[in-house]
Amino acid sequence: MKFISSDAIPELLEALSASSVVWAPRELTGSGGTVMFERWRTGDPIDLEHFSSLSAKDVVLPRTEKLFGYTYAFGGGLGGAFGNGAPAGEQLVIEPAEPAPPAVLFGARACDAKALDVLDALFNNPEGEAYNDPQYQSRRKSLTVITLACTTCDEACFCSSFGNGTSEKAGSDIIVYPVEGGLLAEAVSSRGEALLAEPIFEESEQAPPPLAETARIEGLERLEEKLPRLFDDMDFWQEISERCTSCGFCTYGCPTCYCFNIHDEMRSDREGERQRSWDACMFALYTQETSGHNPRPTLAHRYRNRINHKFSYYPENQGKILCTGCGRCIRGCPAGLDIRDVLRAALEEAPREP
Amino acid sequence: MSTSIPQAGIKASEPLRPEPATVLEVIAETANIKTFRIAFDDPALAESFSFLPGQIGQLSILGAGESTFAISSAPSQKGRFDFSVMKTGVVTSAIHELSAGDRIAVRAPMGCAFPTDDWKGKNVVLVGGGIGMAPLRSLLFYLLDHRDDYGELTLVYGARTPEDLCFASDRRDWEGRADLDFAATIDTACTGWDGCVGLVPSVVEEKAPSPENAVAVTCGPPIMIRYALQSLDKMGFREERVYTTLERRMKCGIGLCGRCNLGPKYVCTDGPVFSLAELRELPDEL
Ligand SMILES: Cc1cc2nc3c(=O)[nH]c(=O)nc-3n(C[C@H](O)[C@H](O)[C@H](O)COP(=O)(O)OP(=O)(O)OC[C@H]3O[C@@H](n4cnc5c(N)ncnc54)[C@H](O)[C@@H]3O)c2cc1C
Ligand code: SF4
Ligand code: SF4
Ligand code: FES
Repeated sequence: MKFISSDAIPELLEALSASSVVWAPRELTGSGGTVMFERWRTGDPIDLEHFSSLSAKDVVLPRTEKLFGYTYAFGGGLGGAFGNGAPAGEQLVIEPAEPAPPAVLFGARACDAKALDVLDALFNNPEGEAYNDPQYQSRRKSLTVITLACTTCDEACFCSSFGNGTSEKAGSDIIVYPVEGGLLAEAVSSRGEALLAEPIFEESEQAPPPLAETARIEGLERLEEKLPRLFDDMDFWQEISERCTSCGFCTYGCPTCYCFNIHDEMRSDREGERQRSWDACMFALYTQETSGHNPRPTLAHRYRNRINHKFSYYPENQGKILCTGCGRCIRGCPAGLDIRDVLRAALEEAPREP
Repeated sequence: MSTSIPQAGIKASEPLRPEPATVLEVIAETANIKTFRIAFDDPALAESFSFLPGQIGQLSILGAGESTFAISSAPSQKGRFDFSVMKTGVVTSAIHELSAGDRIAVRAPMGCAFPTDDWKGKNVVLVGGGIGMAPLRSLLFYLLDHRDDYGELTLVYGARTPEDLCFASDRRDWEGRADLDFAATIDTACTGWDGCVGLVPSVVEEKAPSPENAVAVTCGPPIMIRYALQSLDKMGFREERVYTTLERRMKCGIGLCGRCNLGPKYVCTDGPVFSLAELRELPDEL
């Protein structure tokens, strides 16, 4: 393994910043302990102790991102009525978004890195089989993930329910282990290997520390089959979602929730950009149609969709569970919902007779 | 019917970026429905663009937004295509402001078409109501263009009043054809209308096309679809032989944004065309 001393970490981040955007966890100033993945700039402190309240998914799916820009190149502009199109003979120019710069994600946890691996299944498709997401892909391809192995955890963590738990390597290029005076570093990919060959990393004979054991729920893969049988049991869904206030934190904080909205933002009466932003299936408007009809009219319907998407539909379509057990939706829910209660109940629940 | 990816009109390199296009003609169908005849500005794209009946597209008025519509024209028509748009909200109102020569942005075609190849040699019964006639118009054009491949063709198309019926010039043409059994119907009798009167499902029952070696397709308002399906069932049409198109709020149209799922299926990529048998397999969340 390699070793980097705590003192040398800012130097490493500085060097990486020369060619990449560096994301690292930092306690937000004046937040009383809220840690977030932020763009690191020289002199910024980093926090490798606390767990971030939102995930690191911004590095591949920014909360808001430009899809393309457009300009109506004609004299009068759009006037008061946005969206009268471009009148006869006038130009409508559509220009692609600028490519995103390469990035380094420093201090992700195993559950964050694995989430990237899970999302890759949807957003990177074999050519010709399904549409790809070129913006996701270009961010992902130029991303280096340096994952901080968890030696401690809290009661909300349940990554051990998903494959390798805290020793998961999927999605990472390098795993770093906290040890006395610095970090031990182990390459997972060839990109990681190349980075660890830099002289800032020293050779080390040290053994990595023991990792945390998080809570384990057995048999979550059985939910792919079980959940469809529970689908029509509205009493069940009502009961478990009763306290939810539809705030959407669970989806915004989640490293694997990827649903997005698309909307236009005018910059002036002549130009603007189409953007996409994080969306949440927990919101009523998500599926509301103009007629007023909503296929998911209540919280119970929406919560049912969230759980089914993660534990049944996505596994069926992409072969992977759309959850890594990071626990953020548990820590952050203002109503105290615990997804594990739902999963356990769903595993036990025999479908009620109709 | 599965379709290859990517398709002309949707860039593999940027599937969410629409192509500029120009409105060639606007046809006022009813008080709140207009048909927009559109061509892509890029001549190579206009040339290579093709689609199959049932496929959809996304129209953008940049600044107002993007919405999903069925392509309503004949697939054999090269170089241009139609969308028939009912004015209901922000984007559809902005689209309704357009006149010939105005610019619009388009992503198309998307989604799966009606499995017309599987229907060869069969009779086809089309049951449409209101704006739901849009995809059926494209389908009917296709069937008429390949008339020898199919058996008897029946179309029942209904609307509330004569003024709510779209596609007047097409209807005149359809009425004159010996190889199409066509009835346009309105909900209640009124002066100046000497055609069929009655709700679409009951007119279908009166016509009583045989379910033998036949498929049926129904598109329209949810309530009409519900009763049409009951009628078709009563008449003996089996679930695997009955098709409809679904609507769900959509954004990306390419299976990524997560918006339009019905259980594990996405209306934008797995649909919008589904057989009743396929729908039975899916969760009841319409
Ligand atoms: C597969 C498919 C085919 C369709 N074909 C046609 C057609 O041929 N002709 C036609 O007039 N209409 C069609 N629609 C309905 C059309 O998409 C909506 O009427 C339109 O999106 C309303 O947009 P708006 O901005 O005017 O309404 P607003 O209420 O201002 O828009 C809100 C948003 O809600 C969504 N939305 C609202 N209602 C619907 C709906 N019923 N279906 C899907 N999304 C909705 C859209 O994303 C829209 O951007 C189709 C819808 C789908 C899904
Ligand atoms: S965080 Fe809790 S209250 Fe908020 S939407 Fe999710 S489950 Fe509901
Ligand atoms: S569903 Fe909850 S526990 Fe699972 S990945 Fe998302 S935030 Fe983490
Ligand atoms: S519209 Fe985005 S997934 Fe179907």
